[in-house]
Amino acid sequence: MSRAPRSHRKERIDRGIKVRSDDIFAIGSARDLAYVVAPRALAILALLCFPLLQGLVSRYWQTVMLNTLVIALLALSWDLLASVGLISLGQSLFFGLGAYAAGWLDAHLGVSPLLSIPLGTAAGALIATAVLFPLLRLRGHYFGLITFALPLLFMRIVETTGILGGTEGLSSLKPLPGRTTELYLATGAVLATLWAYRRMSATDYGLVFQAIRDNERSVMAAGFDIQWRKAQAVFLAALPAAFAGAFVTHRYQFVGMPAFALEYSVLPLTAAVVGGAGSFLGPVVGSFILVPLSEAMREFGSLRVVVYSLMLLLFTVGLPEGIFRFAARKYGQFERLAPIEEAPDGK
Amino acid sequence: MDLLASTLVYGLVNSAVLLLTALGFSLTFGLSGVANFAHGGLYLLSGFLAWMLVHYLGLPFLVAAAVTVVVVGAAGAGIYRAVVMPVRGIVLSEVISTFAAGVAIVEFFRWRGFTTYDFSLPALVEGGVEIAGVSVDYQRLLIVAIGLGLTLILWVLTHHTKMGLALRGMSQDEYTALSVGVESDWAAMLSLALGSALAAVAGLVLLPLGIISINTGYDVLLIALAVTVLGGLESTAGLIAGSLILGFAMVITGNYLGPRWSEVVYLGAIVVVLAVRPSGLLGKSKELEDRV
Amino acid sequence: MRLTQNPAALLCILALAGTGASARAADGPNIVLGVPTALGTIEGQDSLRAVKLAVDEINAAGGVEIGGVRRKLEVASIDTREAEAGVPVNDALAAMEKLVDEKKPAAIVVGAFRSEVLLPAMDLNAKFKLPYLCTIGMSPGFEPKIEGDYAKYKYNFRLGLSAPYLVGNLAKTMEFIRKKFGYDKIYFVHGDVAWAKGTVAGLTKLTTAAGWKVVGSDPYPLGSRDFSSSLTKAKVGGAQVVVPVFDMPESGVLVKQAHSMKLKALIAGFISPAAQATAWDTFGGGIEGLVNFLFEPGAIPIKSPRSAGFYQAYGKAYGAKAQASLSGHGPGPSYDAVYVLVDAMKRANSLDPDALVAQLEKTEMDGAIGRIAFNKNHQVVYGEDPAKTAVSLAFQWRGGKRVLVYPESVADSHIEVAK
Repeated sequence: MSRAPRSHRKERIDRGIKVRSDDIFAIGSARDLAYVVAPRALAILALLCFPLLQGLVSRYWQTVMLNTLVIALLALSWDLLASVGLISLGQSLFFGLGAYAAGWLDAHLGVSPLLSIPLGTAAGALIATAVLFPLLRLRGHYFGLITFALPLLFMRIVETTGILGGTEGLSSLKPLPGRTTELYLATGAVLATLWAYRRMSATDYGLVFQAIRDNERSVMAAGFDIQWRKAQAVFLAALPAAFAGAFVTHRYQFVGMPAFALEYSVLPLTAAVVGGAGSFLGPVVGSFILVPLSEAMREFGSLRVVVYSLMLLLFTVGLPEGIFRFAARKYGQFERLAPIEEAPDGK
Repeated sequence: MDLLASTLVYGLVNSAVLLLTALGFSLTFGLSGVANFAHGGLYLLSGFLAWMLVHYLGLPFLVAAAVTVVVVGAAGAGIYRAVVMPVRGIVLSEVISTFAAGVAIVEFFRWRGFTTYDFSLPALVEGGVEIAGVSVDYQRLLIVAIGLGLTLILWVLTHHTKMGLALRGMSQDEYTALSVGVESDWAAMLSLALGSALAAVAGLVLLPLGIISINTGYDVLLIALAVTVLGGLESTAGLIAGSLILGFAMVITGNYLGPRWSEVVYLGAIVVVLAVRPSGLLGKSKELEDRV
Repeated sequence: MRLTQNPAALLCILALAGTGASARAADGPNIVLGVPTALGTIEGQDSLRAVKLAVDEINAAGGVEIGGVRRKLEVASIDTREAEAGVPVNDALAAMEKLVDEKKPAAIVVGAFRSEVLLPAMDLNAKFKLPYLCTIGMSPGFEPKIEGDYAKYKYNFRLGLSAPYLVGNLAKTMEFIRKKFGYDKIYFVHGDVAWAKGTVAGLTKLTTAAGWKVVGSDPYPLGSRDFSSSLTKAKVGGAQVVVPVFDMPESGVLVKQAHSMKLKALIAGFISPAAQATAWDTFGGGIEGLVNFLFEPGAIPIKSPRSAGFYQAYGKAYGAKAQASLSGHGPGPSYDAVYVLVDAMKRANSLDPDALVAQLEKTEMDGAIGRIAFNKNHQVVYGEDPAKTAVSLAFQWRGGKRVLVYPESVADSHIEVAK
């Protein structure tokens, strides 16, 4: 089997604007600037315009968009926890607590959504932090295990004791004013969280989180109280997730045991793994791939769950950096064919 | 027959059920440090596989059971090769990828319509006896016997044979084990195959108690977690203690507080034990590593 | 060669012209019936099949004529996934939204599977204003909701059995047992879900008033695998009747365990895994003597032309195996729902929701489930005589056969207890 000797090879080169690190660019012209800014500006613009297209997009796809944004919030929250080294297998814990907090405020105190969403968010996040506080010393699988078990435990407690409406849940809560408000609220929350998290991870405060993930002992040796820091991280991570819960409660005017459903844990986790953990953008990209995909496969029943667990598997094993990092790396490089200088002499 | 006698008998039976359910998971973890979150999926797979062998190929149940145990054991080895090996050492990736594999198995069956009420495995032995005025069927007594027997065999295997010692050495200190000639991947694959085969055995003796329902796949994983976490992740005595405590706790709460409480018990146990003593009641190793 | 080909070609052309002509007669666009339900469950799947069967029959008879235009029916289904573990209610509602947005149905049949979905689905439907003929969800909260805000919820109707009727029927059966056998100790075990809890609560009230002594009442959460505690307590307390109310597959364990623990009491209630004709094979005879309710006729036909007709047509369309495993809840009323709807369309001579609702309220027809008429809260009235109302059935397992024992008007035999 002889092959024609190749005279060219593929060469990958980082673009000139990209200096060694990921987030520092050398910009020399408007074109360079556009090259760096355009992707994110376009994405943000598209997100902000979407609610204005209600005439063109069916109600159903608006619903899908809302579900996507909700999962994106949960995935962002997951990523922040992961950046402290806490791997959560139970994002529905935060979601469910936020959802029930808002539902309770509405059903028992008659608070309007204007108040019950922010209060529910804060209360849900606080309760979640308080519940997890004694468990923060756990690492590795143990933390994963506990977060896996907690939402199921809460679900059972609601079922068994009949508090908060028991198996029937709380219904006929107050609705949000309209579709446009709903879309802007969710979009705004995702963008705000994204911006805040990315900003935070660049500050000294955020760096401590990553240091805890990398080496707890050296952070302790540097004089930080890591329990306290982890608790802060949990609270900050719980905020968007609890908000998502409170938001969905009012959107459907209903909250019940399914607020702790496994789907709210598995989808964000999968979104984060598929999109790529660690950058905050990855999980959002992952949600925008997974949720519409899951909807497109609705007619195949639970085959969709098979597909996304296989995706989870493939990405964990095959592309651990995730789609976002992979794409970003490709975007920052260009490929060309370079001549092979000394052609092999026949052999 | 009174409530106390029934509590004792069914507490023991329930403990054996939990012990069997958790045995495979605990063994794999103890031998190679891999937390096999596909445990529930494999358990369910064994039930449906045996059912299909009996109903489509017309095999006698015992033959079907033997084939099932071998096939599911091989599936466990396959899961190690395909899913765990590439991410070996990254604990969380191991958990996520085995969990994903388990979910894929469970949901595959749901997708293929295995949700009807037609799936039931025959009991190995029919009939029953009265113990202290409490009627128990032979199948449940068999479960107690198999649970204890298997645990004993495994304890001998892991503590008194060369292979078992090599495997345990692996989970305790991989480098030292490597340096004395234990092949890591081989050992871990074997541990997963053994654990999966045990999940199949558990499925084959436990599922005849009722009909096979899809969601069992998730419940089994939780129970396995609760028992192993409670007892300590790699201790045989801890495993037995964990199943006895949970088994009796569930039956006692069921009898005296109401059955709805018994499902809260095992989830509560996971949370409380992890908060107070993450290495479990009788676990010794890893305490320093997993807690700061 | 040519000679033989030509007449054939001619015939072909004639046939084509013929179909063209008939297509022109059925002029209007298809009328879409939406079926958003849990298709992963046997109740949902069998209901969808029953709907399709009815639609095929109506189309074969020429469709529906509205405003002088003949239109065919079409079914658009979507899986709401609501019976899967861990799927939130919102997801089921999103599925319904998708169906309504994309397929623009004229009405919805079958509808929500779980009570927890049915109630919020009614809120959602207040936006769509589509006639919603529900046949599976049994929530007792349905009627009060319509009564409370008629203008908002008037589009919803229910043909399936509702929990209060089930309570009444069970109570009557218990009364029969009490009188015939002189029993007076009863034990309830039930699934920890809304409809089952409501049923047992109502039944407890009625049986206590009738002179029963309730020995115990235990709810079991989803996923329970050991029923020994209730069975022991039933035995210790000397209960003569055990009433299970379950819709989860795990309750199969209860049946087997009662058998293996040699429970002498009569088991009479509702256990979904023991309802189908195939259950005898699944449980290997362990269910001899068990009395089980079928919420609506369908799985076992009653002696009426509509009911027997449905049963036979179903077997013909989907095979004997599907016929034998017909679910005891859903298919009968789902089949009828299509006919009820078409009947209302013809009378209203329009597809306008408000006109349809007005005509649906006047429904009066014979169906597979008995005589169909709605009460003021849009629930089909269930009673004991299929000539007057819809009925729900109870049967007893005897030697591998399901023998009808309730109601009196259709029963083949009476409840018997083993000596």
